[in-house]
Amino acid sequence: MTPLAFLLVLISETCSAAGQVFFKHAVDGNPRCKAAKLTAGVAVMAIGFFLWIGLMSRFQLSYLYPFDGLNRIILMFAASIFLKEKMTIDLWVGVALICAGVLLVSGS
Amino acid sequence: MPAVVEPIDEARGEAKPRKGWFFNPYVQLSISILFSAAAQICLKKGADKAVPGILLGIEGLRSGWTWLGIVAMVSSLFSWLYGLRFVALNIAYNLAGFVQVLVPIASWALLGEKIGPVRACGIVLVCAGVWVVARPLMHVKEEL
Repeated sequence: MTPLAFLLVLISETCSAAGQVFFKHAVDGNPRCKAAKLTAGVAVMAIGFFLWIGLMSRFQLSYLYPFDGLNRIILMFAASIFLKEKMTIDLWVGVALICAGVLLVSGS
Repeated sequence: MPAVVEPIDEARGEAKPRKGWFFNPYVQLSISILFSAAAQICLKKGADKAVPGILLGIEGLRSGWTWLGIVAMVSSLFSWLYGLRFVALNIAYNLAGFVQVLVPIASWALLGEKIGPVRACGIVLVCAGVWVVARPLMHVKEEL
């Protein structure tokens, strides 16, 4: 996978993670700007979705799909940066496993 | 790219699922996982019709497969939300990890992709990682 393609994967996964956070806040956050949050969620998810389709046209599905595991890592790091959540040993083990797996897949 | 949205927490545990096997929350979660994997297969078939090399795969919308994939994604989301009303999040997230197994198997069986030993090992590692983070991740997702 070229660095550009990997960057696109990261952007796509970040968009999808950000969309989930927007939806979550729209559903149980302050109801005042609910419509704006929903719209923002749909917008970033759509960007992530079309980037993903673009990537799919270039790679085999069994090659590309394991990179979806990065979605969970992005959510965890978002939580540790924005919410100052502590990264537990479990999480680091999971991050290491997913990264090692993605590395292997990208070399296949 | 399975869309995962949590329902409001208070609803869980109080409501009783409707009678009949189809409304069993575990059946619905399984349906959700199957639809989620099927969506990826359909989207891939649609994406193959798009011109490769472009940044955004909007071209893919010209293929019926892409639309079928979107329908499968939305159906998967509804089944997922229904299941989550009755099943604890950590169990649901563990089950959702099966998508990482199903998609490569389906890619091999339905799309004829060849999966070499290196890729197979990578997929196994990713699955293991996804399962390891399922429980702590549920906490993170509740907070974000």
